[in-house]
Amino acid sequence: MEENKDNIDPMPETPPKKHNRFVQYFINLGARIKGWFVDKYTAIKDFFVGLFKKKPQEELVPEGPQLSRGEKFRRGLKSQSGWLFVAPALILMAIFTFYPIIAAFINSFKQGYSGMTGRFDGWGFDNFVRVLKGDTGTGGADFVQCLVNTLVLTFISVPLSTLLALLISVALNSIKKVQKAYQTVLFLPYLTNALAMGAVFATFFKIIGTANNTETVGIVNIVLGWFGISPVDWVGLTSPHWQIGSLSIPWAKYIVAIIYEVWSGLPFKILILFSAMQSINKQYYDAAKVDGASRWTILWHITAPMIMPQISYLLVTGIMGGMKQYSAIVGLFGVTMGQDYDMGTMVGYLYNYIELGQTGYAFAGSLMLFIIIMIITWINNKVTKKRTTYR
Amino acid sequence: MKISIQHLTKIFPSRTKGGSAVHAVEDMNIEIPSGQLVGLLGPSGCGKSTTLFMLSGLESPSSGKIFFDDQDVTTLAAEKRGIGLVFQNYALYPHMTVEQNIRFPLDNMRIKKEEGNARALDAARLVQIEDLMARKPHELSGGQQQRVAIARALVKMPNVLLLDEPLSNLDARLRLQTREEIKRIQRTTGITTVFVTHDQEEAMSICDTMVVMKLGVVQQIGAPQEIYDDPNNLFVANFLGTPPINIFKGKVQGGKVYIGEEAVASAECDDREVFIGIRPEGFIYDPNGAFTLNLDHVEVMGRDKSVVSTHESSTKPTVRCIIESDVALPADAEQLKFNIKPYKLFLFDAETEERLR
Repeated sequence: MEENKDNIDPMPETPPKKHNRFVQYFINLGARIKGWFVDKYTAIKDFFVGLFKKKPQEELVPEGPQLSRGEKFRRGLKSQSGWLFVAPALILMAIFTFYPIIAAFINSFKQGYSGMTGRFDGWGFDNFVRVLKGDTGTGGADFVQCLVNTLVLTFISVPLSTLLALLISVALNSIKKVQKAYQTVLFLPYLTNALAMGAVFATFFKIIGTANNTETVGIVNIVLGWFGISPVDWVGLTSPHWQIGSLSIPWAKYIVAIIYEVWSGLPFKILILFSAMQSINKQYYDAAKVDGASRWTILWHITAPMIMPQISYLLVTGIMGGMKQYSAIVGLFGVTMGQDYDMGTMVGYLYNYIELGQTGYAFAGSLMLFIIIMIITWINNKVTKKRTTYR
Repeated sequence: MKISIQHLTKIFPSRTKGGSAVHAVEDMNIEIPSGQLVGLLGPSGCGKSTTLFMLSGLESPSSGKIFFDDQDVTTLAAEKRGIGLVFQNYALYPHMTVEQNIRFPLDNMRIKKEEGNARALDAARLVQIEDLMARKPHELSGGQQQRVAIARALVKMPNVLLLDEPLSNLDARLRLQTREEIKRIQRTTGITTVFVTHDQEEAMSICDTMVVMKLGVVQQIGAPQEIYDDPNNLFVANFLGTPPINIFKGKVQGGKVYIGEEAVASAECDDREVFIGIRPEGFIYDPNGAFTLNLDHVEVMGRDKSVVSTHESSTKPTVRCIIESDVALPADAEQLKFNIKPYKLFLFDAETEERLR
């Protein structure tokens, strides 16, 4: 019986055309992407339709007496009152977050866009191409240089400071006396302004100061001098660097920036890791001790995995923050971020082009920064989730 | 391995200024022969876990000595004592699989991978969890976690196995099963095992030797039946046995034991006030018996009957007698008369609560 049913079908469907596997893959992929958009579109549409659609009368007042007009209005308002409570935040976010994101997205495709007049020559990928090629014709910061700087600084300083924070937390956890005092001292940098700290750091590393009208070197160079190392211009114009094509690798400045980033990142990380450590059940350590685990084994096989949720949180937020760093570099190397933006960061790049009035490049740069951060965060999540056991 | 504990004392200093220090364990002396299963039994706060942790090396004694065979291990670090310790909450590492958990002690001993794998598998087989090796602890039931913890303790072939309240986190059925399991594992491996429990039934059922403790002081050491039949003092008599022993206030006068006005047994000690302990199974129903109880109700258990009654001299609200189910009791009697089996009756000094023999 079941089989007959199929035969009754008057118009048997033509079998789909066979493609080779490679082509088929892309056809499927296309269908899936289209499906995704259709899904999202219908979901959004339903949401908005639901928002404005009048609710059926009987749903509002099931079996009550006929309501007066004013009462109806009052009740209708009440049922939507949730919107009222989120409205302030929603309005602010719409003005300062959603609108800029959308505007940046749209404007990044406008060629020769003028922020003042709003005029532009046409649509296209011109901004992106010029930004990536470094062909902006304005003498501003170089995108690739800024991207490399940002990535190098972030991916060295964040893991390094997390690791250091872990070790310091372990040490802090193992001392009994004056633990609170140490905790306070370690947390102080968190309360200090980034620009001020940057300026102080820059002074540490300066080669020439002008105190009392005599030439002096910064404290770092003095200390290096004790070991017979001649002064290095860590932050100045003659700072050493390697050149790879058009890309400059100002390693001395990198060292200064990384030391600074690590140091300023420590307090918050220590705070998080230390409190996480204190919540680990002491029995695990007793068990490990009986099982003959060394301190090293306990750190890497017990403590670290146990606070993996916190470590991955710090890595994810640290990397996101690192990708957006700006003020620290300005504090260290001045508003031109080193020599002609050789220490420029992504955010510095954006500011630079806004200042130059070339907002189109800034829009394109910000969109790419956005995408890069998204990709890195996604990878980050994938990696850390794998290594994290939530209790 | 033989364990010998000599004058072991642990004093925890008081946490507040001017507070008194806590004597968790006081002057403990025990000899544990090799290959025995020993239970440390007592109510909470009696120092049994502290004793176990001192044996393990996680706590250091305030004074006294601990010997494993002839070696003084009092100051030896925990990892060098060759002990396996099973924690009350198992303390399995949540981020490691069962196999990694079991292997952890071996990895610390730098044992080769193949040998380690083989030994881990052996230990897992012993506790019958070899199918669960790839799981994480949170994917296991309480009983399975318990087995993993035991396997982890056994895998390094310890000289002494220490178990801290091993059954307290299991449900009633699993508890019965696991305690037999522990007994079986101990028999198979022949490892000297010390375990801590507050459950007298648990201790009685599997121990070779039982150590009854109260407030840090050892009350009695011996085989379970021995202690049950011949308790040293009122506390031990009261602590052991389900249903618990019946205790009456009474006196010895002229070689006779009186509860109220009735002489229930003979005694060989001087006249004095006493506590009289009678095991529930120590009553024989006899219409002409020497001891009268006010009947409350009878609980039928199938194998035997539990007669619940009251007596004005009893220190507990009810008196419980267990008699065989084929003994016919008068249906509507208000009072029942019993004779007392002399070896089920213990006399304790009313002041010191020590046994009068």
